[in-house]
Amino acid sequence: MSKQLEFYVFHNGAYRWAPHKDVIGKWSRTNFVSLPTSFYKPGFALRAFDEWLESYILAEKLGYDGVILGEQHNGPIGLSGNPLVITSWLAANTERILIAAVGPLLNAYLTPIRLAEEVAIVDILSRGRLILGLPMGIGGQYHSVGVMDPTHARARFREAHDLMFKAMTEPGPFEWQGDYFHVPYVNLWPRPLQQPHPPVWIPAAGSRETLELCARRRYTYQSVLTPRSTLRRNAALFRELCAEEGYETAREQIAYVVMVHVAESDRQARLEAEPHVMWLYQNFFRSTFQDSFPPGHVSIASLRGMAAGGGYRSRDISEMSWDELWDEGWIVIGSPSTVAERLDELTDEFGAGRIVMVPDMGSAPAWMVKKSLTLCAEEVLPRFRPAGAGPVWAREERRAATTWAEWAAAGGEPGAIPEARVQGKGVLDVRTSHAEDLRIPTRE
Amino acid sequence: MSAQSGAAGQQADHGERSWRYYTEPAVVDVRGLPTAYRRDGRGEPVVYLHGAGLTRRWLPLFDQMARRVDLIVPEHPGFGDTPLPTWLDGFCDAVLHYDELFDRLDLEAVHLVGHSVGGWLAAEYATFYPRRVKSLTLIAPLGLRVTDHPICDIFRLTPDEAGPALFSGPADPYAEYLSDGNEVETLVQGYGELTALGRLMWNPRYDVKLDRRLGRVTCPAVVVTPNEDRIVPRAHFERWTELLPNARLETIAGTGSPTGHLLIIQEPGKLADLVTDFVASVIAGTTR
Repeated sequence: MSKQLEFYVFHNGAYRWAPHKDVIGKWSRTNFVSLPTSFYKPGFALRAFDEWLESYILAEKLGYDGVILGEQHNGPIGLSGNPLVITSWLAANTERILIAAVGPLLNAYLTPIRLAEEVAIVDILSRGRLILGLPMGIGGQYHSVGVMDPTHARARFREAHDLMFKAMTEPGPFEWQGDYFHVPYVNLWPRPLQQPHPPVWIPAAGSRETLELCARRRYTYQSVLTPRSTLRRNAALFRELCAEEGYETAREQIAYVVMVHVAESDRQARLEAEPHVMWLYQNFFRSTFQDSFPPGHVSIASLRGMAAGGGYRSRDISEMSWDELWDEGWIVIGSPSTVAERLDELTDEFGAGRIVMVPDMGSAPAWMVKKSLTLCAEEVLPRFRPAGAGPVWAREERRAATTWAEWAAAGGEPGAIPEARVQGKGVLDVRTSHAEDLRIPTRE
Repeated sequence: MSAQSGAAGQQADHGERSWRYYTEPAVVDVRGLPTAYRRDGRGEPVVYLHGAGLTRRWLPLFDQMARRVDLIVPEHPGFGDTPLPTWLDGFCDAVLHYDELFDRLDLEAVHLVGHSVGGWLAAEYATFYPRRVKSLTLIAPLGLRVTDHPICDIFRLTPDEAGPALFSGPADPYAEYLSDGNEVETLVQGYGELTALGRLMWNPRYDVKLDRRLGRVTCPAVVVTPNEDRIVPRAHFERWTELLPNARLETIAGTGSPTGHLLIIQEPGKLADLVTDFVASVIAGTTR
């Protein structure tokens, strides 16, 4: 195949020892928001963390382009309350692979300045490998942390977004006087290593407003599990909006999220994956309308559209069959050839240049994830890369100089000379003042 | 959410509104906000502030109250046929809106009645404008923080759960009150109103300042409780009665089955009598 694709591993980091939908009603409506912590067992959680993080370490060794993680609260569907904390660990435990936090919820932060600081820190620690995702946050999150108000979600998100990127890209200090934030001194220290800021991905069900933002700022639009026809429409609209902005959408600007599992044969792949796929769809995404759409979270126009049918997940996701999931393009599972051909077909359909592949299906054990990731890396990935080529991070120039020598060679001047007044000596340049013959006062 | 979403777009198709108890509202402009209200009866002006729902209706309770008082039932910003304005962002905005509405309707001072979240709003109004409130009737009100007695999370109730929670028993006998037009429009209207409610009380779901401020409300007050309220625990009604300087607690018991949070449609006759008797006693200066 001549087409090139980038592959990002998106492990859920889920806690799979949670009750099935048939019986969960005894404790909670769903796995979102209020499943009691009595189901949380520290030893199993530890194992979930290890399996989750090990899959990322493995992804780098195998040669994937990047790894992705999200933000979840109040339940077993993901143990990543703050993805920047996890990416900080990844920055220290991997060398080159791209790290995507997709992402922190702007509306869960009391101020976007805190997030800007965290982003800058992880970008520096990872030597410019961070990708920043900015989801609005699924409805359930708005019930969870006590500071998120769905009736202001979109307006507050917009302002937080603008403030955060202004803080990253414009000189400080400056004052911000917004509807939601008044920051007398926006003055971001530290600042991101990547200039002007880390690449941005926005996952969205397909609101026009979000697609416009992606088009205007040249962000990557990341799909969520929307019906195939909706994703096709979203991608087409996104390309139109990019054209209105005066440029052609790069394929990399569309990231397609899909559950991928590879085994020796189609039959073997289904044997391995089916129970876990069913676990995921029956337990993981299932939510009530009230939890998914807290008041104000969707516009009246979108709600009308949904109610009239054909909208965002109008089908009860927990009732879907294997064949339906396959047809929607939500699972791509089979032998290496089957998976490669199907991914080729679907990415053509959506015009996507990035695959965000979910390898764990929520409940698959580490050994199975490892097997599938390995087969996929060795037998699928090479078909979507130039002959003999490695992952994108081994081919492209690094996004920022990473060593002191490089920065020194580039001739970077410090903002100020570090000086100190030493009694009886005057003001000294502290960089050289420890040497007797260089201890020359710069002034009295 | 756009500035004027929700009900505004529906004003054109009033013809399809054939559900039980629907009546055409009057509309008064309150500094740019077309505010829907219904009014009937003669005598002392009584303003009834509705709870989160059951809008766009002239309920039997209102009919019975209007036999003895001049009853005015406005629809809050974002509820019924009053559009949701962008500026609505908490009870203070609603309180100021009502102060202006009373001016527009030439109401000098009123007897204020509120049900559920409307009770909370009535109480907020009274703390800011105590001299404009002749008496205060709070029917199953929420709005206080009462330790160990949180209210039900009304934002997460599914339709299956809502009925029994609101009536403290089966909702089927009251079906005629709950249906309004086609399914899509009912969903859209309900979501719009819940959004307006969110603007008022998504978080926090109480006003800790009421604990002190209610001391300003020295008019005669009555707190009305159903037999068994599954939305607001009874401890709240007792607490309201303690905090209001001049209040008493009254229970409206059900006939046959216990009353619940929607006692306003379960026992309209008894409730209308209680409220109008109370108003009459305040006018006569014979309040207990």
